[in-house]
Amino acid sequence: MIYLPIAEMPVNVLLVLLVSGAVGFVSGLVGVGGGFIMTPALMFLGVPAPVAVATGASQIAATSFSGVLSQTRRKAVDWRMGMLLSMGGIVGSASGVWLFERLLRLGQLDLIISILYLVLLAAVGWLMLNEGLSVMRGRPTRGVSILRRPARTIAHTLPFRMRFPRSGLYISIIPPLALGYAIGALAAIMGIGGGFILIPAMIYLLRMPTNVVIGTSLFQVLIVASLIVIMQAQATQTVDLVLAALLMLGGVIGAQLGVRLGAGLKSEHLRALLGALLLAASVKFLLDIVIQPPEPYVLGGWL
Amino acid sequence: MRRLLAALALLLCVAPASAQPSAEIGNDLPAAVAEEQITVSSDYRGSYVTVFGVNPDRRGRGDIVVVVRGPNEGASVMRKRQVFGLWVNGEAVRFSEAPSFFAVLSNRPLRQIASAESIWRYQLDPAASAQLSSAVPEGGDPSAYRAALVRLRREQGLYQEYSGRALADQRGGLTMYQGGLFRAVVRLPANAPIAQYHADTYLFRDGRLISSQRVPISIARVGFERRIHDLATNWSLLYGVLTVLLALAAGWVAANLFRRS
Repeated sequence: MIYLPIAEMPVNVLLVLLVSGAVGFVSGLVGVGGGFIMTPALMFLGVPAPVAVATGASQIAATSFSGVLSQTRRKAVDWRMGMLLSMGGIVGSASGVWLFERLLRLGQLDLIISILYLVLLAAVGWLMLNEGLSVMRGRPTRGVSILRRPARTIAHTLPFRMRFPRSGLYISIIPPLALGYAIGALAAIMGIGGGFILIPAMIYLLRMPTNVVIGTSLFQVLIVASLIVIMQAQATQTVDLVLAALLMLGGVIGAQLGVRLGAGLKSEHLRALLGALLLAASVKFLLDIVIQPPEPYVLGGWL
Repeated sequence: MRRLLAALALLLCVAPASAQPSAEIGNDLPAAVAEEQITVSSDYRGSYVTVFGVNPDRRGRGDIVVVVRGPNEGASVMRKRQVFGLWVNGEAVRFSEAPSFFAVLSNRPLRQIASAESIWRYQLDPAASAQLSSAVPEGGDPSAYRAALVRLRREQGLYQEYSGRALADQRGGLTMYQGGLFRAVVRLPANAPIAQYHADTYLFRDGRLISSQRVPISIARVGFERRIHDLATNWSLLYGVLTVLLALAAGWVAANLFRRS
C-alpha cells in the first residue's frame, strides 16, 4: 500500500502495477494507445475521476513519446502536419480543460464522462469485434485500405491550402486544425490519447499515406497529453505524481511484454476479444445511467 | 493556500460558537489526546485518535460526550432525476459549512443525554453542524438533503456515531473506567481530510451541559508526501513540467529498450 499525495487515498502498489501492466500489455499486443482503457480502470480502482483523467494523460505522454522516438528513426513523422494538428490540439485541450473544470463545478462531469465513454467504447468495441470476426471468417478486412480511400475530400476543396511534402499532399489547413481541436478537447475531458479516432480521420479525411499516419498522430498525442498534464496541474491540481510514476512503470513493462508476445500471435482473435470486452464495458456504463440508482442523492464536486 | 485561508476563516467563526464562554459551563474537565500530531507519509492508511479524560465529579455522575471534528468546509448534495431515460444529477444544494469529519461518542445514546436543543446548540451531531446556504429545488425537502449529506458521508466513514463502549466489531467507541476515567477511540479513515482537528469533550448532567474541554489534534503530511503536495499546490507549473519530464524520461527508456530487442 502506498498513500497517493494528491488523490489523498492509499492504493495497493501491486494492484496498480498489475492494472497498468495489463493495459500496457493489451496496448502492446493489439496496437492501441490504451488511454481509453486505463482511465476507466483507474476509476474502477476508486481513484476520483478528475485525478484519473489528469494523471492518465502523463502515462499517455510517456507511451506516445517512446512511439514518436521509434517512428522518427523510421522517418515516419510528417512534422508539418504534426505541428498543424498540435496547434489545433493545444487550443482544443485548453477548451477541454476549461470545460472539465466547469463541469466539475456543475457536478455533471461524471455524467458527461460516462456518456462519452459509453459511446466511445461501444463504437470502438463494435468495430474491433467486427473486424476481428470477419478476418477470422476469412473475408477481406474492411479496415485500412488504400483502394477504398476517396480520391478527393473536403480537405482538398477548402481554402488556405498548404503543401505537405512528407505526405505528398496539397490540402487546406482547416481540416487538420479542426481535427486536432476536436481530439485535444476529447483528450482533456476523457483522459484518452485519441489516436484511434485520429488515425482513421487522417487516412479517410486528410488522405494521408498510411506509413506516416501513426508517427504523426503520436506526435500530436504527445504534445496534447504533455500540455494537458501541465494545464490540469495548474487548473485543477489533480495530477498525482506518485500514481503517474506507477502507471508509467507498469505501462512500459506491460507494453514491452505485449509487443514481444504479440509478434507470434494472431491479432484478429485478440482484437475480437478486446472488442467484446469494450462492448461489455460500455454496457456497464449504460446500465449505470439508465437503471434507477438505489441511492438517489450524490455528494457534490471535489472542488 | 486558498483552502488554508478558508479553513482559518472557518476556525475563526466556529471557535466562539462551540467554546461557549458562558458562565455556567466550566472547563474543569481534564482531557487529552494520545496523538496530538498525526503524520501522513507514504505508508499512511488512516489512523486512530484516542481521547482520554476524567469526569471531575467524584461520584461519577453525569454523561460524557466526545466529539472529534475536522474543519468545516463547503459541501453540496444533488438529487438524481430522470431526463430522457437517463439518471442525471439535479440542481446542487449547497451547504456553506459542513464538518469534513465528525465523530461523536457518548456513554449512552445521545438523545438520552442531551435535549434536542442542546444537540443543535452545541453541534453534537453532524446534521446540526451543516449550514444549508442555497435554496432547495422545487418540491424538495431541505431536511432530506441534510440527511443525505450525513448518510453519504457516514458511508464514507467520515461521519461516525457511537454510543456505549467499543464492541469487538466496532472500530471506535467510548469506554468508561473506574474513578471517572474514560477513553474514546475514533478511527480516522485514510480519506479523512488532512487538516487541523479538534477533540471536544462534554460533561452533561440531567440533560444540562456542565463542563467542556477542547484539545487540538493536528494531521500533517511529512517527508516525501509533504514535498510533493507543497510542490503541487504552490509550484503547480513546475510540478506539471516535472511530471511531463518524468513521462518523457520513461518514454525514452522504453523506446531504447524496444530498439535493443
